[in-house]
Amino acid sequence: MPILEVQNVRKVYTTRFGAHQVEALKDVSFSVEKEEYVAIMGESGSGKTTLLNILAALDKPTGGSVLLDGRDITTVRESEIASFRRDRLGFVFQDFNLLDTFSVRDNIYLPLVLAGGKLKEMEDRIRPISKRLGIAELLDKYPYELSGGQKQRTAVARALITNPRIVLADEPTGALDSKATDELLRLFSQINADGQTILMVTHSVKAASHAGRVLFIKDGEVYHQLYRGNLTNEALYQRISDTLTAIAANGEEV
Amino acid sequence: MKRMLYPKLAWLGIKRNKQVYIPFILTGIGMVVMYYIITFLESSDALYQMSGGRELQATLGFGVNVMAFFVVIFLFYTNSFLIRRRKKEFGLYNILGMGKWNLARVLVWEALLIYVISVGAGLLFGVLFSKLAELAAMNMIGRGPDYHFEVSADSVCRVLFLFAIVFGLILINNLRQIHVSKPVELLRSENVGEKPPKVKWILSLLGVLVLGAAYYLAVTIQSPFDAMIWFFVAVIMVIAATYMLFISGSVALCRLLSKNKRFYYKTNHFVSVSSMSYRMKRNGAGLASICILSTMVLVTLSSTACLYFGKEDGMRLRYPQDIVLKARTSDEDAAYAVQEMARKAAGDSNVRIETEVQWRYLDISAECRDNELLTEGVTLGFSFGTTSNRVGLYVVPIEDYNRLMGESETLEPDEVLVGVTKGCSWPYDTVHLQNMEEMHVKRVVEELPPNGEESAQVFKSIYLFVPDYERFVEFYHGAGQESAAVQEYSYYGFDLSCGDEKQRQIVGTIIERIGTSQIEDETFPKVWVESIAEERDGFYSMYGSLFFLGILLGIVFVFATVLIIYYKQISEGYEDRAKFEIMQKVGMTEREIRKSVNSQVLTVFFLPLVAAGVHMTFAFPIIRKIMMLFNAVNVSLLIWTTVICFLTFGFFYIIVYRITSRAYLKLVSKS
Repeated sequence: MPILEVQNVRKVYTTRFGAHQVEALKDVSFSVEKEEYVAIMGESGSGKTTLLNILAALDKPTGGSVLLDGRDITTVRESEIASFRRDRLGFVFQDFNLLDTFSVRDNIYLPLVLAGGKLKEMEDRIRPISKRLGIAELLDKYPYELSGGQKQRTAVARALITNPRIVLADEPTGALDSKATDELLRLFSQINADGQTILMVTHSVKAASHAGRVLFIKDGEVYHQLYRGNLTNEALYQRISDTLTAIAANGEEV
Repeated sequence: MKRMLYPKLAWLGIKRNKQVYIPFILTGIGMVVMYYIITFLESSDALYQMSGGRELQATLGFGVNVMAFFVVIFLFYTNSFLIRRRKKEFGLYNILGMGKWNLARVLVWEALLIYVISVGAGLLFGVLFSKLAELAAMNMIGRGPDYHFEVSADSVCRVLFLFAIVFGLILINNLRQIHVSKPVELLRSENVGEKPPKVKWILSLLGVLVLGAAYYLAVTIQSPFDAMIWFFVAVIMVIAATYMLFISGSVALCRLLSKNKRFYYKTNHFVSVSSMSYRMKRNGAGLASICILSTMVLVTLSSTACLYFGKEDGMRLRYPQDIVLKARTSDEDAAYAVQEMARKAAGDSNVRIETEVQWRYLDISAECRDNELLTEGVTLGFSFGTTSNRVGLYVVPIEDYNRLMGESETLEPDEVLVGVTKGCSWPYDTVHLQNMEEMHVKRVVEELPPNGEESAQVFKSIYLFVPDYERFVEFYHGAGQESAAVQEYSYYGFDLSCGDEKQRQIVGTIIERIGTSQIEDETFPKVWVESIAEERDGFYSMYGSLFFLGILLGIVFVFATVLIIYYKQISEGYEDRAKFEIMQKVGMTEREIRKSVNSQVLTVFFLPLVAAGVHMTFAFPIIRKIMMLFNAVNVSLLIWTTVICFLTFGFFYIIVYRITSRAYLKLVSKS
């Protein structure tokens, strides 16, 4: 059974006075298997962020369903959504979203503390994760003292500490320089190799070329998808570029 | 067209930032209203012409200066919020090609607009309310109403002048800030990561120590004289300690809490404790100001209210009987002649004399060192060099004490009864008058003869009830005691069965007849005559005007408190919005966020009120002592006025909280 199943999701935004309707997602269907690493690509305005918000249960679709472990998250009650999100999903954002008032350690602990975890358990969990992400020495620092890459690795640690079913990453390399980007993508591959399911939304070809499968979204629909198969990152990179060019050319013809 | 550009930009700027400008303008209006009313009353003819009005106006004359001082402080404080909000906008204008000179023109127009609006509306309401205030003032000093209406041109000029200066200064300050900053700095706002607050352990510790010392001082002070001197020291200590504790003590406390891991990593404490330390770092000074202002409101209102509502009791302490004659003599016959004169004057007016009180005493100025009473070289009255050792010493025959109190105490020749006023005690077994032999204290008595003059003294008095009064009279008349300030008196006080008007007549008759007797007979003693009827007006108007001023200042302080609270909430709302968005994404429910916001806001909000309550509690003993100087010895009345003032103030505080926290939540949840 797939871990995540998106079926015919549709999202329509209505302007304040109902005069105009904007269809952000027309009809999106796809599924993510366990231990998969999926990248969703699309230009700005293609509906990527809307899709991610729906997957994160931050927004409700107008139609269709999203099944996580067979359970439809669009029907989870409002009061349960937060704990649902906390326990099963991990988030990595473009702008890190770390809290300035917390030290690195406390930022990573945050979801566990909110879930009412035991101190002992939290300490046991943070040790391997921080070591793997190379931030073990930074735990007592504050966000203002960190570089962008260090901040993003802290955010990844925060996403992983709850052992989520799936990590949702929204443009995770968007605010990083190329060195930090390479570093982060290497970490993502490693985490995925260890068995973590990852779904990443991006418009960076480089980021997408690290994934196992790439979905292309255009005008609110899944337009195309690419499997890595036995391709290297470089080869996949080339395939993605070609596809994007094709999509752009096609778009112009229409 | 082009000429209208700057006023238009200024007006748009105000309109767009109305969330911060409306309170600022309201503050301006409120300040104008208060200032106009105070200056109006101070120069009001109607008040001047009534008895007691002049005392009120003198008190208000002081109030005008206090007002002006606070006007400057508050408006400057409020403006600092405004300019912080608007810097980004100015940076944008700057980058879009407006020079600093153009910006300055916009600012000048803004200042002008705000000046016109606040002074215009303020004067309008000021004029409307001034009559009301005048009627209230007249009522408080116990006069009938006067429905004549007028506008004081002088007060209008003073308002225009003061506020022109204040707004001018604010403008200059704003221009200076725009001038020194670079456009990029103006544009870039608060999005720079904030460092965690440094814990200043020493300052926190110092705060605790100073506060402890101030509380200790307030609680342990014995005599009202010391209380009066030390009160201001204690006030300054408390102010300093409050700032230290709010600014660094709170951060230190949060740090201590976060060190305790079992406590810290709990869902309820985690977010609150860590954000509290940042919150306190930013708001410590503001909260301390709120706390101090609140305490000032409470102290001012409760003490003036206590004076006002206890005025009749206070008068009775100062004037225990309707009429009091104090003849300066130790000769019984002469004293008797004075008493007869008073009885006859009352009899002539067909008024009955009720409750007569008569006793003799020696009034000696002394200094008290342990159980020794030094009399040499101590001058009468009160001067700069007077120390807290200074006491009034009254030597009273035991027979008079027995008669007054209805007791039958007998004393050995070397024994005395001792009584001490102003709530002080006499912890010694003996008492030693300078140049006399030591005497044993048989008993310390609580109840003392009625003595209005004594109750008006700043320092405490010691009564010695002695077995052979004549010996003391002779001793102080004898050689070698010239340097002591000693006067002997025969006290005669009585109540009359008639109203104030008649009493004044009788007093007039008595004074006249005494005068005649003194001319006819050179040995006729000097006599002091006091009449409660004569003094009542002055007394009432003094207490009334103090209470009135207390209310006016109370309103000003409440204004300030409300204002600080409002701006604090608004500026926090902007800062917290981003933070709660993150929390929500990480998995905090809307309800948890709301709960956490509420608990933090509640803490921040009510901390000053609670601290003000604690300050008040510890200040109570010292305030009680000071109130004694104003003849207000009714402790339960003081407790009541304090409690009622605190509750009333708390009520307003909660209302402000409800209103501002709604504005805050709106800002936070507007995602």
